[in-house]
Amino acid sequence: MIEQTNKLPEKVKYDLTFAREIYSLENGAYIKQCMQCGMCAVSCSTCDIMDYSPRKLFNLIKLGKKDEVMQANTFWYCTSCCTCKARCPRGIPLVDVMHDLKKYALDNGYCNYPQAAFYKAFWAEVASRGRSFESGITARYFLIQGLDEVIKYMDMKDVGIDMLKHNRLPFLPPKKVKDLGNLKKIIRKAQELAQREARS
Amino acid sequence: MEKKIGVYICTGCGIGDALDIDALSKVASKEYKADICKTDAFLCGKNGIELIKADIEGEGVNTVVVVGCSSRINTDVFNFGSDKIVERVNLREQVIWCHTNDDEDTQMLAEDYVRMSLAKLKNLNIPEPFIGENLSSTVLVVGGGFTGLTAALESAKAGYKTVLVEKEDTLGGYVGKMYKQIPTKPPFTDLEENSIPALIKAVEDAGVKVYTSAGIAKTDGGPGMFDVTIAQNGSETEERVGAIVLAAGAKPYDPEKLGHLGFGKYENVITQLMFEEMVAAGKMEANKVAFIQCAGSRDQEHLPYCSAACCIESIKQALYVKEKNAEANVYVYYKDIRSNGQYEHFYKRAQQEGVIFVKGDITDISESDGQLTIEADDHTMGTKSEADEFDLVVLANGMVPSAALGELIEEEAAEAEAAAAADEPKVTVPPIIKSNLLNLEYRQGPELPSLKYGFPDSHYICFPYETRRTGIYAAGVVRAPMDMLSAMEDATGAALKAIQCIESTMKGEAVHPRSGDMSFPEFNMNRCTQCKRCTEECPFGAINEDAKANPLPNPTRCRRCGTCMGACPERIISFKNYSVPMIGNMVKAIEVPEEDEEKPRILIFACENDAIPALDMAGINRLQYNPWVRIIPVRCLGSLNLVWVNDAMAKGFDGVLLMGCKHGDDYQCHFMKGSELAEIRLSKISETLNRLGLESERVRATTVNIMDYDKIPAMLDDFAAELEELGPNPMKDFQ
Ligand code: SF4
Ligand code: SF4
Ligand code: SF4
Ligand code: SF4
Repeated sequence: MIEQTNKLPEKVKYDLTFAREIYSLENGAYIKQCMQCGMCAVSCSTCDIMDYSPRKLFNLIKLGKKDEVMQANTFWYCTSCCTCKARCPRGIPLVDVMHDLKKYALDNGYCNYPQAAFYKAFWAEVASRGRSFESGITARYFLIQGLDEVIKYMDMKDVGIDMLKHNRLPFLPPKKVKDLGNLKKIIRKAQELAQREARS
Repeated sequence: MEKKIGVYICTGCGIGDALDIDALSKVASKEYKADICKTDAFLCGKNGIELIKADIEGEGVNTVVVVGCSSRINTDVFNFGSDKIVERVNLREQVIWCHTNDDEDTQMLAEDYVRMSLAKLKNLNIPEPFIGENLSSTVLVVGGGFTGLTAALESAKAGYKTVLVEKEDTLGGYVGKMYKQIPTKPPFTDLEENSIPALIKAVEDAGVKVYTSAGIAKTDGGPGMFDVTIAQNGSETEERVGAIVLAAGAKPYDPEKLGHLGFGKYENVITQLMFEEMVAAGKMEANKVAFIQCAGSRDQEHLPYCSAACCIESIKQALYVKEKNAEANVYVYYKDIRSNGQYEHFYKRAQQEGVIFVKGDITDISESDGQLTIEADDHTMGTKSEADEFDLVVLANGMVPSAALGELIEEEAAEAEAAAAADEPKVTVPPIIKSNLLNLEYRQGPELPSLKYGFPDSHYICFPYETRRTGIYAAGVVRAPMDMLSAMEDATGAALKAIQCIESTMKGEAVHPRSGDMSFPEFNMNRCTQCKRCTEECPFGAINEDAKANPLPNPTRCRRCGTCMGACPERIISFKNYSVPMIGNMVKAIEVPEEDEEKPRILIFACENDAIPALDMAGINRLQYNPWVRIIPVRCLGSLNLVWVNDAMAKGFDGVLLMGCKHGDDYQCHFMKGSELAEIRLSKISETLNRLGLESERVRATTVNIMDYDKIPAMLDDFAAELEELGPNPMKDFQ
């Protein structure tokens, strides 16, 4: 497999400020030990459609190319298949790093990818009920994306109808989990911990 | 010695079932009149050995011919003391395991092998070891750096008197100037304190005699009896030593030649050594530092090889910067990071500390206000890149062995000889550089011959530390580029080799690969024509010349390859147990059937180092091959004397095949040049053959390594098929 050509600037200039910020994410420090062997790139199932292979993305981070990294589709196209993580000779948990990058992108307002909207919708739905509700996620997703997006998605209606037929798209929301309050407490605590860890 | 010959034929291992043993016995007792000929069903067993021992004691047998398995096994079992000759006939690996059993041709083969051994015995005698006078067991170490100190310490700790010569006024060498050193033990991630002060103390405590500000003015003699003149402060001292470890180290590649990387142009572009000294002196203030790898190394314009240590040295230096200021910006520009073995952990450590590694070629370095900017082609990203505001750029400028610093000695074209030899192809001689390290009194030149790029290495696979001068062992970065861990291993290895050489020399034995061999070449001087071939061709420089230009052998330098024996046109060089007539007798003892019997014969001279083991392996794997072959083991193809080929052709052999080790750049020949020399000699015989009306294709050389055993049957069959095309040797009828 040939690695995709990417949208690199003519000339790069190294700037470590952004790199240091990424290193401070939960799994960010692992990026430092990437030795550019390319194992992840050849293992990745979606590498062909990524702007940069994981290897190149990591290198861009090291170079400090914040915009290139954050506007890249790479981590949004990561399917969490874990092949790279299993194969990386330097033991870098790539999937976890990709998750960190997604979160960082959302927190910093880089949400141009539809996956980002879906990410948010899914999360809001699960946080509010403790369960996922397909119709609710879809609704939230379209709200985030803007209603005119809906038109674009009309060609997916067959999928929706099929799901309905098979009882996979309920109209009514499921029951909330028992003791939702406690779940929210748990989530809050986890978020706090994550933030504290990131700061240290 | 009056020989009383006892022939013992083993019928075990299937030999008895495959061959007509009575007929074999008759060859020994009737044809060759062996004094005793007995058979046993399990000769290497207790009773078999008792049988032989009883004849030694009761009958006075002093020459034992063991007809059974390969001489490469059971050597200890069939050892009856150094005053008995033991000759082995290999019927197992090379006859019954690779030829049809109960077959006329196989039987003829076995009988020929018995004849050959008995014929060889006629001229064979027990070697009397050469024990030099006034032998010394002192180890001399040349060079007082990390490797030299380690080698000296190891040999002193092993109980050998040790002398160390260092040209600087203090010990320690390059490593001595370091601030800290690379990790030498697990987990291979942490900087270590400089080990030189402790090493110097240990060397002093161990009683090593140290000469500083000293050099070797002259090295005369050979193993066990090197007479070394040490020059120190204008005066000279002599030391007699047994063996020498050359640990003269390397020099950083001249940075003045790295102007394209800004050296000499910008004050803040420095070398690894300068950086080391700067940190050691506490003067390193830089917070943005770039390291440029392969500055000189792996570059055809400068040093074509990898200097092997600079990558990890730069990683270490990058960590110095991080140690001082964790926020410092450190960049390493590299071609490849060659952090061999455990040093991968060290590389990872530097990455974790935040050192940025950029795979790229530097395209420009510029300066403004004392700050440097580096432009490069970034190969991982496929773009041009720029980084600026560097306080310091450190060049990994690689290493040049001390042995390469000096003038190449041009081979003097001794006019008369050159003219005489003009029509003969010559073997390429290894370059010798006048580097003023050992100043050997050797006819072949004053220093060690180098293998490549001026490194005086020898056999790159089989004999590390070994050089082409017996008793002199190169260790550390003078031998090959390496890191400290490898240098430590080298130092220990070379010290052990030196000790082994001393011990062997004391007993008059050869060092490996013929370890234990007590024979050495003897010269029948009154027929010597002073042609100097032996002097020039000895791969170990063992033969000097005396004042009258006669060859002057130095037996303790000899490694018993027999190359001189093969070289001598007068055939006046021989060993007690290996000589031109001995092998000639073997050739003549083989029965060559008449032409009308349609049984061709092929003679094979096979080198004992790789070809013979490969032939044995073919047998062990029961690979069947052509029964027309007769194999004669030789010490090295270098010992091949053309007269053997002449004899064989005259006798009616249809073809002759030489099986030796690979030669050329990545040679495997255990005696450096043996197989190459044999081929060169062979090219001379072609003409003679053509003149005799014989096709020169009948004589051929081939290379075999020990793992080629599976190719042997095809090799022999193909040769046999080609010989069949040529038809029988016309000389057969003249017999
Ligand atoms: S497999 Fe691991 S070390 Fe190799 S390029 Fe990918 S992330 Fe880097
Ligand atoms: S050790 Fe590294 S810097 Fe030195 S020559 Fe080899 S690859 Fe180049
Ligand atoms: S046997 Fe070999 S090492 Fe010895 S003198 Fe002859 S050529 Fe040299
Ligand atoms: S090769 Fe033989 S003849 Fe020539 S110098 Fe040596 S010993 Fe004498």
